[in-house]
Amino acid sequence: MKKRYTLGLLAVLLAGLTLSQPSPFQQRVQQAIQNGGSRFAESMKQDPDQALCSQYRDKLPPELVGAFLERQRALIKYPADGKLMGDWKKGEELFTNPRKGNCYACHTGDPREPGAGRMGPGLVNYGQRGTSEAVVKYTYDKIYNAWATMPCSLMYRAGYHGILTPEETAHVTAFLLDPASPVNAKR
Amino acid sequence: MGRFWRLVGAVALALFSLMVLAQEEDDPAKEAEKQKKQLLEQSGGILPSDLYVEQGEQLFKAKRGPKNASLEACDFGRGPGKLEGVVGRLPRYFFDTRRVEDLDSRIRTCMIRLQGFKPEEISRSEVVAIAFYIASLSNEQPVVVRPLMPQEKKLYELGERLFYLRAGPRDMGCATCHVTYVGKRAGVLPYSDLLKDKRAASHWPAFRYSNDQAWTMADRIRACYANLGMPAPDFYSEPIIALTLFMNVQANGARMDLPGFIR
Repeated sequence: MKKRYTLGLLAVLLAGLTLSQPSPFQQRVQQAIQNGGSRFAESMKQDPDQALCSQYRDKLPPELVGAFLERQRALIKYPADGKLMGDWKKGEELFTNPRKGNCYACHTGDPREPGAGRMGPGLVNYGQRGTSEAVVKYTYDKIYNAWATMPCSLMYRAGYHGILTPEETAHVTAFLLDPASPVNAKR
Repeated sequence: MGRFWRLVGAVALALFSLMVLAQEEDDPAKEAEKQKKQLLEQSGGILPSDLYVEQGEQLFKAKRGPKNASLEACDFGRGPGKLEGVVGRLPRYFFDTRRVEDLDSRIRTCMIRLQGFKPEEISRSEVVAIAFYIASLSNEQPVVVRPLMPQEKKLYELGERLFYLRAGPRDMGCATCHVTYVGKRAGVLPYSDLLKDKRAASHWPAFRYSNDQAWTMADRIRACYANLGMPAPDFYSEPIIALTLFMNVQANGARMDLPGFIR
């Protein structure tokens, strides 16, 4: 009796082991990525949601969207002092710094900024939405983790990846919403 | 009244200059053509890419390396020493190395096998110059890359997977810009449409006049990863060959413009 029990347990373990192995093609992909060098391979490691976006080529099936958004929302962190709007001047520097936000590569913020990209929507006069709590939080969340509102959006998750700290995210939020910021200057 | 007309004039002028700007932005090929003409006038008819071709030809034909041999017996897929049109047929499977190789890695293979260089002795700038020379003999030839061998089919699938793979601190992959956001731009250049615009993959290797550099497709791919904040895959590595194979298949049927001259 005990022997049969052990055998059964072994069978279950073996089945689990087989199922948890990546497919041969998946192994081949990993092998090829390794061939590109260890630093490259390290950076090509995906988190589960990057893998989903790649698998479905940015168009998630509707039944996966709810859980995806929830997972992403749970990743958002806020500044210790709870202030979601910081200093717009610091925000401007982060917005244009290619190593930090690099936001202007895709968005026009200050319309005087030359060479702003057009990958994302223009943000001139973004502050006309006002500074209600809901608007500030929406803006902060979007900058910190764009995938919490739009699954697989092109916009990277600057806060989640540590490109912007929560405090820095608050500065960029202020750059977009503060009436004194050049984004919202009277023209 | 005078002020009104001044305002109308200013608005019309602004609109006009915006249109001119937009046109310039939207056609990098025309802008490159203009730059090429200018450079030709300044230099008396010699392009920087011609110099690379010349240097590459000398390197290709000279007896070099521990085996004191030239590269003239190198087989790029159409037989030893046959160079016409080979760039449009790469990457492909080679029986001697049992690998799918692109132009760069095949040059490297021949430098190792025919000339006896050690892998760590291969100079990247020499490989690029030789690639320019071979490319010059494929100009205006068609791109014909059809994965038929199982190894080629597998590597194509792999390239497709890598092309759509999003990773790294900017959550991006090749397809994010070159498929999903095609026609838009980050910074000054619009992204090429790698799935539909056959010109995109058919002008490599190319001279880039904006930074005065000679690049092969490998350099282009590596720079793309660097732009995404990711370490680039090693030269001659499988990710580069797989992505090149995937992109060149999309360019099937295109007439090559070699060596390319681009921004």
